[in-house]
Formats: sequence, structure tokens, C-alpha cells
Amino acid sequence: MKRILVIDDAATVRLYHRGILESAGFEVSEAVNGLEALERLAEGPFDLYLVDINMPKLDGYGFLRELRAKDIPQGPAIMVSTEAEDNDQRRAYASGANIYLIKPVKPARLLAHVLTLLGESHS
Amino acid sequence: MGLKKAHDTPSASENERRLPRDLPGLLDALADPDPMARRWAARDLAPYPEASHALVERLSIETEPSVTEVILTSLTLIGDEVAVAGLTECLRSEDAMLRNSAIEAMKQLPDEVAPWMGRLLEDPDPDVRIFAVDVLESLRHPKVEDWLIRVITQDAHINVCATAVDLLGEVGSERAKPALFALKQRFAEEPYIQFAADLALKRIDTD
Repeated sequence: MKRILVIDDAATVRLYHRGILESAGFEVSEAVNGLEALERLAEGPFDLYLVDINMPKLDGYGFLRELRAKDIPQGPAIMVSTEAEDNDQRRAYASGANIYLIKPVKPARLLAHVLTLLGESHS
Repeated sequence: MGLKKAHDTPSASENERRLPRDLPGLLDALADPDPMARRWAARDLAPYPEASHALVERLSIETEPSVTEVILTSLTLIGDEVAVAGLTECLRSEDAMLRNSAIEAMKQLPDEVAPWMGRLLEDPDPDVRIFAVDVLESLRHPKVEDWLIRVITQDAHINVCATAVDLLGEVGSERAKPALFALKQRFAEEPYIQFAADLALKRIDTD
């Protein structure tokens, strides 16, 4: 079973994303900010990261930069944010994001990107 | 070249001790090229409400995170109108660390921040409104629920409402239910709003 790490400081958002991803058969872990997400890597790398941008302690950009600097298998990352500015998207991709989505993300859209990034077929 | 004696190159703390610690001396030190001197000055300016302007001005140009943190602490301790205005301006910053630190500082000043909240929640920039809702997260003030109900009733931006509805799930009471039902109708095609509002309603019914 593919493992996905959902990183967001909002508990309701984590629960929402968890529900979508688990219903599609993924194993989901959670972290409340970038620092906690880095600690979760001790459990082993994840197959995909769903990362919020604005978080306390270490934001999404910082987490992705640290992740991409690590010598571990690199899963794709979807960055989700309320920010629709081009500059935010550029920063996200520069930090190592593969996809940038604007919140709130509709379930079908999120799953389509997750499945594509993981090389799995749409059901 | 001969060795320099230690007293030829005084440390920042020695300099700090030599500088006058009265208001004019501290204001000078706040612009010192040495971050250590600026940090000490920012700390020692906390008892001087008349230093608010200078601290806010320094905050807008300070590049050293440790100095920024101390400035925010001193502004929180001063807590006057100028200090709070300076903190609210940080909500517009692109610097996430500064923004998050200002949000945490504002949470410590419920009575001082309250008069600003109406304006912040009506700011033209939705990001500022979202950060204002973040301030409400642990702002111990009796009007928090009223502000959140107003946001989900009036704000047209889905992410501002989404942030507010998350929080209403934690602090909302029976009074919030009509607004939550109305929000579900207003954003009937948005799965996240349906999910978050249902969760908030469930939590309110459980409490």
C-alpha cells in the first residue's frame, strides 16, 4: 500500500485529505508542520507528500527544501495553498513541488493528481 | 603583525555595557550594525512605551531573526496602539517567520487586538483576513465566536470562510449553527466547506 504524508496545521484539512486518500486505498500519515514532517521521515520515506505552505515553525517551502536535500528516495510532492499568486507557485516549484493546487481542493482533482504522480491508473 | 590585545576588540556585550542604557542610548543601539547590540537594545526598550514607533520601524527593516523575535516580544510587552498596529502590519509580510511570530504575539494581547479585529476581518486582502482568523484561534476574547460567525456569514472568499469554519468547530456553540447551515447553502458545490461545516455542526452537537 502506498504511503502518503499529509502536512497541514489545520486539523480539519488533514482530516479531509485523509478521508479522500484513504477512500482511494492509500495509507495516510499526518504532520502538523514542516518540522514534524521531517521527524516523520525517520519512519522511512513516503511515496507522496501533500504539503500546505503556511504553517508555523517550518513552512511548506522549508520542508520541501530540506526533504529534497536528503539522500533518500524522493517521492513527489503536491503543494496546496490558499495563495493563487504566480510568485507563490514559482517558489513552490523551486522548493521541489511537482504540482501546485489552490485550496480548497476538490476530491476528484486531488485524487487525479495523486494517481498520476504515483503512476497509477484512474479508476 | 603583532597579536591584538583582547581589549582592542571589545565584544558586543562589552559594547552593550558601555552604551548608555537610557532611552536615547537604547534607540541609537537599535540601529547598531551589530545584531547582538540591537537585540539587547530591543529587549531593554520593553519598559519604554515611547519606543513603540522605533521598534515598529526597526521591525520593518530588521534582517536578523533573533532581533526580530526580541522586537516582537518588546512590542507585545508594550502593547500600546502603535505596537499593535505594527504587529497587524506584519500580517501583510511575505516573511512567514515574521508573520507567524506576529500572529503568536497578537494572541497574547486579546483586549488590545480586539479593536483592530473588525478592520482586519474586512481587509481587502483575503490573506490578511485568513491570518486575522488565525489570530482568533487562541485569542481569549468573548467576541471570538461573534467574529467567526460574521466571517462565515459575510465573507465572499471561500478560503477565509474555510479557515473560520475550522475554528468554529472548536469554539462554536449552538449560536453558530444557523450560520453554518447558511454557509453550507452558500457554498453548496464546495466539498471542503460541506465537510468542514458538517464536522463543526457535529462537534457543536456533541459538546
